[in-house]
Amino acid sequence: MKLKKVMALSLAAALTCSLAGCGNETAQTAQSSTTADSKESTETQSGGEDVLEEELGYADIVLGETYADLTASIKVMSHRTDLADTKFPEYIAAFNEMYPNITVEYETITDYAEQALLRIEQSDWDIMMIPAVDKKDLGTYFVPYGDLETVSEQVRFANTWVFDDLVYGIPSTGNAQGIVYNKQVFADAGITQLPTTPDEFMSALQAIKESNPDVIPLYTNYAAEWTMGAWDAYIGGSATGSAAFMNQELIHSASPFSDRGDGTGPYAVYKLLYDAVALGYTEEDYTTTDWEGCKGMINNGEIGCMVLGSWAYSQMVEAGPNGDDIGYMSFPITVDGKQYASAGPDYSYGINVQSSDDNKKAAMVYVKWLTNLSNFSYSEGGIPIDVNGAYPDLYSAFDGIEFVADEAALPGEETYLNDLNTQSELMINAGGNRKIMEIVEHAAQGDMSYDEIMESWNQAWSDAQTTLGIEAQ
Amino acid sequence: MKTGFDFARWFKGRKVQRFLVIFTFMAVPLLLLFVFTYLPFGEMVNFSFYNMRYTGTRTWVGLQNYIDVFRRDDCFGALKLSFYYMAGAVVQLMLALYFATLLSFRVRGGSFFKGAIFFPYLINGIAIGFIFKFFYTRGFVLDTVLGWCGFELDQLPFWLRDTNINNISLVATSVWRYMGQNMVLFIGAIMSVDGELYEASRLDGANRFQQFIHIILPNIRTIVMLNLILSITGSLSAFEPAYVITSGANGTATYFVLMDELAHVTQKVGLASAMAVVLLGMILLATLLQKLFFKYVFRSAEDEDKGAGARRERRLARYARRHKTGKGELRP
Repeated sequence: MKLKKVMALSLAAALTCSLAGCGNETAQTAQSSTTADSKESTETQSGGEDVLEEELGYADIVLGETYADLTASIKVMSHRTDLADTKFPEYIAAFNEMYPNITVEYETITDYAEQALLRIEQSDWDIMMIPAVDKKDLGTYFVPYGDLETVSEQVRFANTWVFDDLVYGIPSTGNAQGIVYNKQVFADAGITQLPTTPDEFMSALQAIKESNPDVIPLYTNYAAEWTMGAWDAYIGGSATGSAAFMNQELIHSASPFSDRGDGTGPYAVYKLLYDAVALGYTEEDYTTTDWEGCKGMINNGEIGCMVLGSWAYSQMVEAGPNGDDIGYMSFPITVDGKQYASAGPDYSYGINVQSSDDNKKAAMVYVKWLTNLSNFSYSEGGIPIDVNGAYPDLYSAFDGIEFVADEAALPGEETYLNDLNTQSELMINAGGNRKIMEIVEHAAQGDMSYDEIMESWNQAWSDAQTTLGIEAQ
Repeated sequence: MKTGFDFARWFKGRKVQRFLVIFTFMAVPLLLLFVFTYLPFGEMVNFSFYNMRYTGTRTWVGLQNYIDVFRRDDCFGALKLSFYYMAGAVVQLMLALYFATLLSFRVRGGSFFKGAIFFPYLINGIAIGFIFKFFYTRGFVLDTVLGWCGFELDQLPFWLRDTNINNISLVATSVWRYMGQNMVLFIGAIMSVDGELYEASRLDGANRFQQFIHIILPNIRTIVMLNLILSITGSLSAFEPAYVITSGANGTATYFVLMDELAHVTQKVGLASAMAVVLLGMILLATLLQKLFFKYVFRSAEDEDKGAGARRERRLARYARRHKTGKGELRP
């Protein structure tokens, strides 16, 4: 009898639990709205007398002094699974010398871009690398670091995650966009001057192919997919020299992929890939390329060059005994006699708006410490985020080349690029690997000319503009 | 003294107890089924009426997503690839049937072959994907083996790059993986065939092939049907080989891969949900058509139609009427 009662009771409990589970969504939104309310009320209450809210400003934090006695335990979600057992424990140890009472825990996630969008709702983290969220939603998930002007005095690429003039993300490091190449291969092919235009680049690939048929002049990394999507990163600053292109001009351009006639712009970028494949300057079976294997191959001089961000440089150097042969050059496009290189932020740190006040403070201190004192950018071969940090050595080939950091979208247009990307399905700079893989396929099979591909993209883009009611010229 | 209603007594009563036991046993599986199958499905159907991403606001668009599914060329274009997988499914079933028949007779090393053929089914689909990626790579396993057979590397196609054959390459991995499972099911069914039938047929001079056609096949018809339905609906929703080996590139994007791309990369969640609902409809339709087809084309002796019974009945009645004298006992 007793047993049966217990069973009935536990069953009832299970039922209520699961019902609670069903209603979870509404409960959560209710919760978040109440926290938002309470925050508003504290803000209005604090007004002039309480400066606690204002103290939560990134710029005001002096490392080692501000919140020195704070005790908190924070959790960081990161995409860098490769650093989980190497660099991250070192950072935590070094950070704890300065802030012994703040405990830091890392969770690293493979497949981060997708997982993060789900985890962002769970709120079981204090710092996360901001995934692809709409800028107008930033305030629902993240704590602002301060207004744009103040934060940019201390931080490069501060405009990455800005909404309503508030900065919600501090980049972890910056990347310049260029081409990683093997100096020895280029020298053996008799190339003394690095190519600066698409034509020079194609003749360089030809020279490599002719001097040594066993070397793959340009390795596409087609099968890895995201390495294809990486080509999008070159159509902004590198191809146009304009910092406004990516976030301001592209969304209002009716035919952004048309031939500009002078070897610049997005057309020239993707044409390099199409021509290289069509002329046989790439690996013969692109469907079975091997990302891990390519690192050793370029190190050993079996690959001429690969189009990858500067973050890839250190990995290619470490992949074999010939690290000295690896070089980094800017993308071969010259705009009015001058070369530019897109430079932009990597993933940015965002702080959870639902964390406790102490955790928010601790998280902000840790973000600042990572930015200014961890040397993360140097070990990654990236551009330092701290405005006082100097550029690492690998940028020696970038003498005379101007770095262009994309400007943020104009107020009120923050969501346009995302909306257009989804609507047109081109997903420029947002995981749109498939469209670039199709360039390779069409080039190899010769079933669609390059101009036809660009025409179809223009069509998709302007159709999306019409659907969304975005003005275009 | 006596209260109107004795709760303890009522509770101990047979009816209540029976209800409680049934309820307790049923509640958990039903709850799991509801929470993890029907509820998410309902949500998905709901999503399919919205223009939405994972984050941000959603807008109601009514049937627009469904209209888009039928208007876009890529959605139904992807379904054409299913024909490759269906053809593969038929080949797979025939091979499975062949091996099952061979191995259900006494064969030397039979258990070993059964195990060896079944083994691929036990390997994780993702692992199989990676294995075959290397298997098909230029100059790797397949090319080397064919090289031993006298083929020159120049004569061989690029197994994954050539769009004429890359889907066949992918289907082959699927056949390799699932054939063993089908075979084991067939062996199980063949085992249940009455052994005396073989003996009787041998006395009548039937050979192995005739035994297969006239004894084995009719007896395992149900399981063949089941496997065929599963294979064909499965080929409509083929995903793993195309996703892992070629990631849907180069003209190998099946309906599912396309759906995944739309949902997770392009974030057209509403459209992807609509695609899923349409696919469900098609699978239901395909299953129904198959059922009807088999019902009317392959009728066998054992499931006689109801008309036959009635006709026999009438004949017996007529017979009894004609021979009125004492033949009444013929009537059932």
